[in-house]
Amino acid sequence: MTVDALPPASIDLDAVDLSDRDWWAGPPARRYATFARLREERPFAFYAEPEIPMLPSGPGYWAVTRYADVEAISSQPAVFCSGRGAVSIQDIPADLNEFYGSLISMDDPRHAKIRRIVSKTFTPRMLERTVDSVRAVVDDVLARARQTAAAQGGHVDVVADLAAPVPLRVICDMMGIPEEHRAMVLAHSTVILSGGDPELIEDQEQQLTVFLQAGMELAALMEALAAERLERPREDLTTALVTTDVDGERLSHQEIASFFILLLVAGNETTRNAISQGVLALAEHPEQRARWAGDPGLDRTAVEEVVRWASPVTWMRRTATRDGEVNGHRFAEGDKFLLLYGSANRDPAVFRDPEVFDLGRDPNPHVGFGARGPHFCLGAHLARREIAVTFRALLDQLPDLEVTAEPDRLHSSFVNGIKRLPARLTGVR
Amino acid sequence: MRITVDRELCIGSGACEALLPDVFEVGDDGVVTVLRPEVDPDVADEVRDAVAQCPTGALALASEGDGPAG
Repeated sequence: MTVDALPPASIDLDAVDLSDRDWWAGPPARRYATFARLREERPFAFYAEPEIPMLPSGPGYWAVTRYADVEAISSQPAVFCSGRGAVSIQDIPADLNEFYGSLISMDDPRHAKIRRIVSKTFTPRMLERTVDSVRAVVDDVLARARQTAAAQGGHVDVVADLAAPVPLRVICDMMGIPEEHRAMVLAHSTVILSGGDPELIEDQEQQLTVFLQAGMELAALMEALAAERLERPREDLTTALVTTDVDGERLSHQEIASFFILLLVAGNETTRNAISQGVLALAEHPEQRARWAGDPGLDRTAVEEVVRWASPVTWMRRTATRDGEVNGHRFAEGDKFLLLYGSANRDPAVFRDPEVFDLGRDPNPHVGFGARGPHFCLGAHLARREIAVTFRALLDQLPDLEVTAEPDRLHSSFVNGIKRLPARLTGVR
Repeated sequence: MRITVDRELCIGSGACEALLPDVFEVGDDGVVTVLRPEVDPDVADEVRDAVAQCPTGALALASEGDGPAG
């Protein structure tokens, strides 16, 4: 497979609508050529908000495409807040906003206090203890994928058979979610981050209802687990959520439920797509695949390049708390900004040859885990570990994995998602 | 040189701990503890990296003789 770069000059900027979710499922070459033009000509480009049935559309938003502007906004949380919504372009009712965004849609000091309940669990030192378990999960997933392939004439789906099960099992283990609930967790987490993709939400008029239903089901699972953990605490994240005090108070019921949903959804959707996009990138760049296969010393920089290249979370929103100016751009209180990480990660002002997939890239100050600021990805160290272990195992144990068709891309602006990526294990007859 | 932490800003991201586990450790309270506040000249560059990479700017370096505000 090859990737054709598209000359930025071929893009008609006036015909581009970043609110059109189908545009995001289109060819990445078009997307990145468009970003190149936007960075050059309209670093703050204004778009009308996408229409979602039952939600009022707001005034529109600025799409921020340059690295320096993404950094500037992200690192001034008092001026560009998250509390008015960080994961939705539309303003959604405050309680829903917090329910689905949890920490992501909160500002300090509350954000920092709640985040610190689980920070330690996600530090490199604590994760060191989970390395063996991540490795065991990955080995088992790969063994099952080989069985699946054997039963299907060599065919596998990179997403369903490899990329999805790894983070699902790791985060469910960390949270103490029993085996029998995991398929349900994956299904609901996929719906919550579907961006309204019609394949995942059939009745488009009922988007909001389907989305709420998925959240309710996860909240119900949490209720059952929480009751158990209060009676019999364990060494898991769920116990930490239900037993920790913040300023002498337990988290409210709703705060626990939303934090629980956040950890599940964020733990699943992001790493799954980093792995799927990484497998695709390796298929498109066989020389890089051979290089990584032959050099385990490359793991550290290769993982960062996979995250830069994939930029699994496409954007986060910030909202101006006052009038002001950022890097020469004037804004008014209430203005919305989408920080387009995938564009910042290809900004030639920061990255040499940004359109080149280079597993040895160093330094690589990508913003794939978010830019500087209090909302920097909580799970970054975990994600790095999962990605590193998965690719090392893939390269060593499934050297015959071959992508056989174009991916089915998620129709969503929010997650750079792949729904299916057909592949074959050529060693299986 | 001494390493200082702003405990209000720290979110326990562990970026510093990833670079220098002997110097930084995120504690049970979710905030980083500096295990060796006096900068060891052998790792001064890494310490500067850790300070520069802190996502919330919670870490700083204070020269000897600076006030507590650094």
